Amino acid sequence: MTTATLAVPPAGAALGIDRLFLVLALAATAILVALVLLDGQPASAALILGGFGLGIAFLKAEFSFTASWRRFLTRGEAGGLLGGLIVIAIAALAIVPVAALKPNFGGAIAPLGPSLLIGAFVFGIGMQLANGCGSGTLYTAGGGSGRMLLALAFFMMGSVFGSLALPSFLALGGVDPILAADYLGPWGGLAATLASLALAAALIVAIAKRRGASFAPSRNFVVGGIAIGLLCVAVFMAGGHPWSVTFGYTVWGAKIASVLGFDFSGAAFWQWPGPKHALAESVLSDTSSLTDFGMLFGAMAAAAASKPFARTAWPPAKSLLAAAVGGLLMGWGARLGFGCNIGAFVGGVASGSLHGWVWFAAALPGCLIGIRLRPLFGLSKD
Amino acid sequence: MRTVYIIVVVVSLAAIVGNHLVSPSSGRAVSPEDFAGACAPCGAPCPSKK
Repeated sequence: MTTATLAVPPAGAALGIDRLFLVLALAATAILVALVLLDGQPASAALILGGFGLGIAFLKAEFSFTASWRRFLTRGEAGGLLGGLIVIAIAALAIVPVAALKPNFGGAIAPLGPSLLIGAFVFGIGMQLANGCGSGTLYTAGGGSGRMLLALAFFMMGSVFGSLALPSFLALGGVDPILAADYLGPWGGLAATLASLALAAALIVAIAKRRGASFAPSRNFVVGGIAIGLLCVAVFMAGGHPWSVTFGYTVWGAKIASVLGFDFSGAAFWQWPGPKHALAESVLSDTSSLTDFGMLFGAMAAAAASKPFARTAWPPAKSLLAAAVGGLLMGWGARLGFGCNIGAFVGGVASGSLHGWVWFAAALPGCLIGIRLRPLFGLSKD
Repeated sequence: MRTVYIIVVVVSLAAIVGNHLVSPSSGRAVSPEDFAGACAPCGAPCPSKK
């Protein structure tokens, strides 16, 4: 009787709920929300909760830019890529006009030049080796992948190295950001942005058809794409800028390095007003960090609510090495390329900024190299 | 792996709270793009400003 009683799993276990990590994720989120509310910052709380929603949406939809791009490059399958374009189209409907018409709002812009091209290319290599991009690293690490926890640590390290290198690469030259709304007005800029997305979608479908591959997005990618697109709008309205991921990693890495004794006072990047402010102020004063924290804990809550959390064994050493190398490359590339799939591609294109499409065009060949390198680390090309 | 996760979450949360309590916080959360002269999400200046 006693043995039988002890053998009965606790309530919730039958449903696959991991109470420990669910409570941990919810408590951590509640603590962060309470801290910013105590400071009288409801917009910061909204950013944390927006990130929490993004973590759930990405994990539940298994929305992966990295796998989608790989499937397109290796097999011609276009569904995942089109899912990403759904996200951008929904975000653009709000970002282009609001950024142009409302004070205190702005789009994701970036200069065009060698730094953008090199950074995006290197990022593309890294995302295929790590098997996750900026957002992918966040939600899989939050969702219980120890491998991606390692990738995140090296992403932070790489982005600090990238912050030290960026000023030298910017010195190679470039041109100021090109924003559709600056030339065509808010509504003309929106029309041009949506037209560019339609053209890209048509091109992607044509390539898929020519290769005899599927091009219809799965239900997960349609529903997930719509949910993520709407959450991108919510994050934009709360933060005043499109959702970005990787600047937070750079700040975390630099703060940790500072504690370890590194001095950034001589680094040009950290003397620019934005980064200098972020390094000196509370980590909860940085919009990117707020959504990142929310996304990590949102993914953790979603994973813990559906199955035992982080029960899988550690992957082989070669796979962990790929995660570390990929994380380093992504971090370095994200700083030189002004962001990742989210900050540069989704945010850039959804803002009507040309750099978003340039980033995509440079990251795609980087992905091809990364896919070819994957077998060296025991990873499949598919 | 669960033990690693528990340690990482607890240490990270303590670090976030500690950093928040000992660092200045001058109002609403900002992005580097909010500062004058920023030309990218990381706050990099525009090429034309050199």
